[in-house]
Amino acid sequence: MYEIACPHCGPRAQTEFTYERTVDAVVDPAADAHTAMQALFTRANPMGLDEEIWRHTYGCRAWMVLTRHRVTHVIEAVKAIGPEALA
Amino acid sequence: MILPGNATVTEPTSITALPAAPLHALEIWANPAKVAARVQKALGFALPAMNHSAANAAITLLRFEPTVWLAEGDVSVLADTLGDDGALTAIGGGIVRFRIAGPGWRELLLEGGVFDTSAAALPVGATAATVIDHVGVRLHVESDDACIAYVPSSYAQSLHHFWDEALSLIGA
Amino acid sequence: MSGPARAPSGDETIPFTFDGTAYRARPGDTLAAALLANGVGLVARSFKYHRPRGIMSAGIEEPNALVTVGTGGRTEPNTRATDVFVYPGLVAKSQNRWPSLSFDVAAIFGLAAPALGAGFYYKTFFGPAKHWMRYEGFIRRAAGLGDAPTEADPDNFSQVAGFCDVLVVGSGPAGLKAALEAAEAGNRVFLVEQDAVPGGSLLRDPDSGLDPAAMIQRIEALGGKVLLRTTASGYWDHNFLTLTQRLVEPGAVPTNGFAQRLWHVRAGRVVLATGLIERPVPFAGNDLPGVMLSQAVRSYIRRWGVVPGQRVVIATNNDDAYLTAAAIIEAGAQVVALLDARASGPAAPAGVTVYHDARPAGATGRKHGLRKVTAVIGGSEQSFDADLLAMSGGFVPVSHLHMQAGGKLVWDEAAQAFIPGETPQVCETIGSAISPPPAPAVAPAGKAKKSFVDFQNDVSLADIDLAWQEGYRSVEHLKRYTTLGMATDQGKTSNMVALARLAEKQGVTVPQAGLTTFRPPFTPVTMGLLAGAGARNAGAHVRRIPLHALHEAHDPIWQPLGYWFRPRAYPVNGENLAQAALREAQTVRTVAGLSDVSTLGKFEVSGPDAAKLLELVCATTVGKLATGRGRYTFMLREDGFVFDDGTVWRLAEDRYLLTSSTGGADRMAGHLSYVRQVLRPDLKCSVVNVQEHYAGIALAGPRARSILAALTGAEPPRHMGYAPGTLAGTPVHVLAASYSGERAFEIHVEASHAEQVWQAIEDATRAEGGAPYGLEAMELLRIEKGHVVVGGEVDGRSTPHDLGLGGMLGKAGGFVGAAGLTRPALSAAGRNNFVGLVSLDGPIPEGGMLITRAGTSPQGHVTAAARRILEGGAIALALLQDGHKRHGEELTVSSPTRGEKARVRVTSPHFYDPAGERYRD
Repeated sequence: MYEIACPHCGPRAQTEFTYERTVDAVVDPAADAHTAMQALFTRANPMGLDEEIWRHTYGCRAWMVLTRHRVTHVIEAVKAIGPEALA
Repeated sequence: MILPGNATVTEPTSITALPAAPLHALEIWANPAKVAARVQKALGFALPAMNHSAANAAITLLRFEPTVWLAEGDVSVLADTLGDDGALTAIGGGIVRFRIAGPGWRELLLEGGVFDTSAAALPVGATAATVIDHVGVRLHVESDDACIAYVPSSYAQSLHHFWDEALSLIGA
Repeated sequence: MSGPARAPSGDETIPFTFDGTAYRARPGDTLAAALLANGVGLVARSFKYHRPRGIMSAGIEEPNALVTVGTGGRTEPNTRATDVFVYPGLVAKSQNRWPSLSFDVAAIFGLAAPALGAGFYYKTFFGPAKHWMRYEGFIRRAAGLGDAPTEADPDNFSQVAGFCDVLVVGSGPAGLKAALEAAEAGNRVFLVEQDAVPGGSLLRDPDSGLDPAAMIQRIEALGGKVLLRTTASGYWDHNFLTLTQRLVEPGAVPTNGFAQRLWHVRAGRVVLATGLIERPVPFAGNDLPGVMLSQAVRSYIRRWGVVPGQRVVIATNNDDAYLTAAAIIEAGAQVVALLDARASGPAAPAGVTVYHDARPAGATGRKHGLRKVTAVIGGSEQSFDADLLAMSGGFVPVSHLHMQAGGKLVWDEAAQAFIPGETPQVCETIGSAISPPPAPAVAPAGKAKKSFVDFQNDVSLADIDLAWQEGYRSVEHLKRYTTLGMATDQGKTSNMVALARLAEKQGVTVPQAGLTTFRPPFTPVTMGLLAGAGARNAGAHVRRIPLHALHEAHDPIWQPLGYWFRPRAYPVNGENLAQAALREAQTVRTVAGLSDVSTLGKFEVSGPDAAKLLELVCATTVGKLATGRGRYTFMLREDGFVFDDGTVWRLAEDRYLLTSSTGGADRMAGHLSYVRQVLRPDLKCSVVNVQEHYAGIALAGPRARSILAALTGAEPPRHMGYAPGTLAGTPVHVLAASYSGERAFEIHVEASHAEQVWQAIEDATRAEGGAPYGLEAMELLRIEKGHVVVGGEVDGRSTPHDLGLGGMLGKAGGFVGAAGLTRPALSAAGRNNFVGLVSLDGPIPEGGMLITRAGTSPQGHVTAAARRILEGGAIALALLQDGHKRHGEELTVSSPTRGEKARVRVTSPHFYDPAGERYRD
C-alpha cells in the first residue's frame, strides 16, 4: 500500500485515495470526437514515470497529480490541482 | 510487552452518540482572502487552516477540505459574509457525532484505521478525515482526553458496534 | 525414540489430546515439544504417499508435523505442531490418514506411490477423458491436507494500524540489539517476534551477555512496542508491512472475543533480523520420524528439556552441528556417530566419534523413531543402530521479507546460500541472515527415490531428476511440474536442496540455475484475519436508512441493495412477497401509497455558475429551468453511453438539487467532483453531497395530491414542480416527481426529523385506504410505466437513443459525452433498443433471450419482467436489436437456464398512460 503525500494533509495511506486516470487521458469537454477518443483510448503507458490524477476521496476530497514510477512505484512528486489552487 | 490478551489501557474509554446538531458545509470558490477577512470580522476568529479548527461560543469551524469548512452551530452570521464567493449547505441530517473519551481513544481509533492518531500527528484542536473500517470518518481532537468523530448516519450504528467490540480488545 | 523423551517433573499441568489420547504438557511447550516429551514421534501422514512423518524442526519452517487444531468453528487445519503452544484442553488431530494414523490403508497397501510421481497430474490429461475421471476420484481421496472447517468461526478478528520509526523483525541477538539501540536513540520502535518468548537463537544457544527479558523491558520502558506471537507476514510498497498476531493459540477460546489481529504498519525504517533456517540433508528415508534438523534437536534439549533420542547420529557439512553434539552429551544421551561431509572439522566434544568425508545414505525406522542409519564413509558403507538422526545441510537466510520488498539476493559461495543484497526500500538485513556460516556443497548419497526434498508435497530427488529427464529445465517449470515449494511452507526447507540438484543436473552453479520468488504471506494466514470485522457480515457494514427502525416495526421483507437494506414489501395477513407487492402496487394505482426513497443520490449545487456545471454533467438542458421547476435528466460517460439518471430541480435562483440512482450515488459524487474540480476549477459553485442529509418519502397515487394538500395546508406543486413546505411541523422540500406513473411527490426532510413526517403521511394515507409499498411494488409500477433503471436497461452499453431518450438531449451539446456520442457506431443500425414485450401465452422469463425461432442467434434480452398491475397479463422490458422499428413483431423469449419460454409481441415500453394524463390534476 502506497504512502501518498497529500499536498493538503501530508503523508496518508493509499486506502484514503482513489485513482482517476492519467493526465493524458483527461478529455476536454470542448474537444472534438476524434481528439476526445484519442485521449480516452490511446495511452502513452510509459514503463517509467507517468503523471496520474488521484483524489484524496476519503480524506480532504481534493484532487492531485502524482508523478509515479510505474515499475518501482516511487512517487516523485505530488501537485495539487483544482479550485483550491486558485487561492 | 504485549502478550496475548494483555490489555494496555486500564481506565475506561467511552463512546457517546451526541444529539443532532446544526452542521453546514461552508464552501468558498472565489476571493478566499477577502472572504477570510469578512469571516474574521464577523466571527472574531480567522478561518482555520487545513486540518485545524477554530471556535467561538456560537460556532465551531473545522477544516477538512481545502475549500470547504464544516460549520457546527449557528451559521446565521456567516451567511452575510459570503456574498457571491461561497455558499452554505445544510448537511447535519447525514452526520452522527460521537464523543470518544478516555485514555484509550487514540488507540481505539487505530482499530480498522489507516491514520496515525498519536498526539504528534493529531494534536489537540486538529482535524483529520480518514477511513475507519471502510467508513469515511472525520475526527476533531477536543482535548487530550476526548475526540469527536463525525460519522455518516447510515454507518453510525454499525460503526458504534464496531468500536464497542474493539473496546474490549484494547481493554478500555 | 522409544518412550517418553522427558522425565516428568511435576510441572506437567496442561492437559491436551492428540488423536483422542490424553496427554499432559508443561507451560511453554509447543505441541511438538509436548508430543515428543510424551514419546509420540509419529504425528502425520504425508500428502501423496501417506508416508509416516514426525517432527523435523522446532520452528515455523516445519514441513511434516501438520495437524488440525481446535473443534467446531475454531478448527484450524494444517497448523504446524511446532507453532502451537499447548493450552489446557487443546484438541489436536493428525491429518490425511484412514482409518488411523498408525494404521493407514493407503500407506500400507502402497496405493499412492506408483501413480503419483512428478507431473502425475498433467500426465493424466493426455489419456482418454474417462481415465482422468478415474484418476481424479482416486487422487482426491488419496492426496490432501486437513479438512476445512464446516462451521462459521465464532471469533472476532481485529485489524489495526501501526506507525513507527523503526520496525525490527526478529528478537534474536541481532534484533534485540538493533531494537534497543533504536529505542535509545529516541525512535518509535516496533519489535516483532513470531515466538511466544523473545530471544530467537538465544533460546537454544544462550549468551550470558544478552538477557532478552531485560532488553525487552528496557525497550518498552523507552516507549517501544514489543509484539510476541506476531509474524511479519507481508512487506509491501513504501515500507508498509502486515503483521499477523495470535491473541490466543489456534483453536483456543479468546477471553475478549478476538482471536487474532492484523497489523498494518507503516515504518520509517525496517530492520530484518530474521535469522536462518537449517537445510535438511537428502538421503533415503530422510523423512522418517526420528530424522530432525540439528538445531531443532538442540532446541528441544535446551529449551524444553526434551531429549528426542538416546542414540543419535549427527550428519553435517558445517561446524554448528558440533554444538548439537555437545547438547546431546550434556543431556546424558549418546552420539553414536558424527558424520561430517568435510575432510576436517572443529574439535568434537568428548565421547563423540567423528567420521570425516562421511554422508548419510539411508535410514530405516520403527513407529516413533529410527532403527538404523547407513552412511557412506570414504568409499564404504557403514551402519549404526540409532533412534535419532540430527541433520544439518547448511543454512538458508530468511530473506523472504527482503525479497517481498523488492530486494535482490546475492550468492554466498562459502555458505552455499543466497543472502539479501540491494533493496529499493528503507530496509536492512542484519545478523545471521546476512552472514550465514560456511557450509560446502555435498553430493547426496543414497537412493534418490526416497530422498525427500519437499517433505510437505512429497517431492524427492528422483522427482527432480524425472522432471529434468522430461525436459523441464527452468526452475519455474520444475516448480510447476513437481509442485516443489508450492506447499503451505512455500519451500522453506526445500528450495535450496532442490536448486542444488537442478544446478548439478544442468552442470551450472546454483545462482545460474535460478531462484523462484517469495510471496506474502511468510506463513499461512487464516481467512478470518483477512476479513477482519467483516468476517461476520459479508465484508462490509450495512448502511441503515434513517427510518430503519420505523420500517422494522412493520416487519417488512428486507432487500439488500448495495450496502443498503430497504423494505422490499410489507406483507399482511400471511401474504407472500408476490402477493404483497401486487396488493401494494394496486393500492398505488387506485388510492395512494408511500415508500422510502431515502437512498437516492442527492446533491445540492449552488452558486452563480451552478447551472453551468449542471449543463456540463447532464445531457439534457438545465439552464432554462425556472425556479420552482424540475425535470428528468440523464448523464453520459465521456464515451457517449448513459451511466446514470435522475432529476434536477431549481430550488432557488442560485441553488439546484440533483438526484441520481441509489446504486450510482458514490460514482456520481466522484464524477461531479471530477467535473467541477478537475475540468472546471474556474466555476463559481459549490457541490455538496446531501444524500444522507435528507430522508426521502415518495407519495404516489390518485389521492396523493389531496393527502399532501391536507398535510401541508397548501396546494402541492404541479407535476415536475418544486415547493418548500411544512409537514408535521417540519420543513420539507416537496418535489412533484413520479416514478410510478401516478401523480406523485417526493418529500425530502432532514433525516433526523424524518420519523414524524413519515408517520403523518402514513396515517393520512392509511386513512384514505392507502398503504406503504416496497421495492418490489415499485418495480412492478416502473416496468408498467416503462421507466429505465440504472443497472437494468441502462447497462453501460446503451445510448440515449437506444433508450428512447434521444429527443431530450441538449441540442447545443457541450455536455460530458457529447463528443463521444457522435461516433458513427453509436448511431449505426443493429443497436439494442429499449422495447416492451407483451406475452401471448404465459409469464416471460426475466433474463431470457429474444429469438425469432429455435436455433437462431439471440437478438436481445429481457431486462425486467412483470405483469399488468390491474388488468393482469405478462409484460416485460427488453433490449432488442433495432427494436424501435420492430413494434408489432412476434418473437420467442427463451431462457435455457430456467427451462422457460414465452411467445411475445414487441411493443412500446410505455404500457401505462403513455400520454402522462394521470400527472394532470
